[in-house]
Amino acid sequence: MPLPTKDVLSMIVRNTLRKGSPISIPSDAASGWARDINLPKGGETVLYTSLLYQMVPYTIASTKYLEKLERGSVGGALLKLGKMVSSVFDVSKLASGVSQQEISSQHEILKRIAALIKKADIKFGYLYDDELYAGTLLYDFGRDKDFAKHAKGVYDIFKRNGVGKVITIDPHTTHVLREVYPKFVDGFDLEVENYLEILVEKEISPKRKLEISVTVHDPCYYARYLEIIDQPRELLSRAGVEIREPFRTKRLTFCCGGPIESLSPRLSEEVASLRVSELKEVCENVVTMCPFCYVSLSRAGQGRVQVKDISLHLGEAYL
Amino acid sequence: MGDILSTIFSALDNGNLRTGLERSVRNLAPASIRALDTWPYLVELAEHVRKVKEEVFQNIDYYIDETMKSVRRCAGHAYLAKSPDEVKRIVDDIIGDGRKLIVKAKSMVTEEIQLREHLIAKGHEVYETDLGELLIQLSGGKPMHAIAPAIHITKEEAARLLKKIDPDVRDDMSIEELTARVRLFLREKFIKADVGISGANSIAADSGAIFLISNEGNIRNSTNLPPVLISITGVEKIMPTMKDAFFQALVQSGYAGLYPPTYLSVIAGPSSTADIEYHRVYGVHGAKEMHVILYDGGRRKALKDEHLWEQLLCLRCGRCQAECPIWDLVGNTWGGRVYGGPMGIGWTAIIEGIDKAAPLAMFCLGCRKCREVCPSKIDMPSIIRYIKSKF
Ligand code: SF4
Repeated sequence: MPLPTKDVLSMIVRNTLRKGSPISIPSDAASGWARDINLPKGGETVLYTSLLYQMVPYTIASTKYLEKLERGSVGGALLKLGKMVSSVFDVSKLASGVSQQEISSQHEILKRIAALIKKADIKFGYLYDDELYAGTLLYDFGRDKDFAKHAKGVYDIFKRNGVGKVITIDPHTTHVLREVYPKFVDGFDLEVENYLEILVEKEISPKRKLEISVTVHDPCYYARYLEIIDQPRELLSRAGVEIREPFRTKRLTFCCGGPIESLSPRLSEEVASLRVSELKEVCENVVTMCPFCYVSLSRAGQGRVQVKDISLHLGEAYL
Repeated sequence: MGDILSTIFSALDNGNLRTGLERSVRNLAPASIRALDTWPYLVELAEHVRKVKEEVFQNIDYYIDETMKSVRRCAGHAYLAKSPDEVKRIVDDIIGDGRKLIVKAKSMVTEEIQLREHLIAKGHEVYETDLGELLIQLSGGKPMHAIAPAIHITKEEAARLLKKIDPDVRDDMSIEELTARVRLFLREKFIKADVGISGANSIAADSGAIFLISNEGNIRNSTNLPPVLISITGVEKIMPTMKDAFFQALVQSGYAGLYPPTYLSVIAGPSSTADIEYHRVYGVHGAKEMHVILYDGGRRKALKDEHLWEQLLCLRCGRCQAECPIWDLVGNTWGGRVYGGPMGIGWTAIIEGIDKAAPLAMFCLGCRKCREVCPSKIDMPSIIRYIKSKF
């Protein structure tokens, strides 16, 4: 049974406006990783996660549930579907389905990213529980008014904390802050740098060579919106990684299906599955650089490919 | 709204459609990339065409006027029709009374107008002559792609459909044999037809000439053999000169991955001779009458829309469709009544209204692949995001 698009949408909007992100995340899951490595609070320059990596375990759990609703394998008439959808976005109801192991894997990614940026001699802090989701989905779904309101709030928090520069670590947030916020937030003056750009610019050098072959799945937003295409390849090849390019790559990369995962897990997975087949044709080790791509490709690629965030490879070689 | 996902799901469950799409996508995309590699001037021409079109859009009424004058100068009849009903009325007047035999070249504009259905309802005998489109006509479905309308129909299905017009068709016939049967069947219709109807890939304001590209050769026959030719085209296909109109046709076929086009017809007015005593006679071997209908159908209104206007730069090459992840899976079932895929969202907003397009738009991934490959570099993701905001 198709999910009611309007209900899903209004849940995403409501949660983002009220709780700061589409699925609210407990404090430990959101910022525990930074406490573990004693990142200073705030500062002129901050690492900004937009909570995307932290959301991964929750997205996986909620998608599983939405999938069941869509397949009709959880009971209930159409009438109740709207209600069920809203419970999917209620984190306390989801909690049992969230994998602790996935939480720690995502934390590991964030720690590696922070360590890599440190290695590039950049001083930075983190906003901890002040950090909010950037609101990208609101913009992507055309909820402009809601997005504008949310973006203003996010910007105010940066300002209140005296932030002048943010280091972003995923394509969606990099794009929305760099190219969309200035159009929606009056006086927006934050400098936005992406960590892959920084690592290449600062020419960090690897400590060891990785004797592996991978295929790189360019996220749409890096490849076509931001032209971050060479940076990941440079970092990987410097570390001795052999890169095998799939049929559609770089500017012509093919979407992972992630953006519509909440509207239709099935359609989203079919897209991901097309992409997994293309990637698998050249290599089973798939490198992602975006938490959404990671979720989509691992879901559709179970048993077919190994999906790993680029920071984990870079961590092994450079740290 | 739930309907859209239901339609999409049944398309996902349709094995024939999936196989057809998979096959054609694997052929279409590389064919287009190869064409642009081999003839890189196509990329430059595409840029040029976009610039020229923007200029035309600024003065659309002037160019419509010029085009009509030019058509008349070549002894053609010119009309401007604002709505589907107006087109139908004009066509009815031209065709006149009695049951006529009509052959049609494939034209998306006539799909918009539902002209074939109208003519059949009027009692005429109408045949689509593009093989794919003929199959669509016989199946009662809708075209799945701007260039390859019947990609979802298998050989077995094609044989079953063709039996409706030719009882000698057998299930075990090869694709070659089926094609030969169609050739035979349509040959007779071309010769006997009273009226030919076509679209146009391009039309030149300075000369009134229409440009038509085709691979099957059916367009030549449909436009040349019947005594009356009616060509209907959207006003956005107007180019200022013969030269630019030619370029537009080349760009379309190049990006569609059909380059060079096997046939390119340029038609400026009816066929005529003055070889005997300098006395002008019309309809020697080609059409005796040529009628050009410029179709507005919401286009001039859309040109004034800050977001939608850009979709009118579309040449209907189908390139964005083959590259769209959602379209690759379900074809034009993700679309409006006529157009589907990335270009189809904008076009649906233009011809059916933004309310119809908005629930479709929600399933756009925003991946920007369409914009990347579009000859006109239409910012479809932005157009679609705007349409989403109306959901
Ligand atoms: S939008 Fe662009 S790529 Fe798509 S059919 Fe039109 S011209 Fe071709």
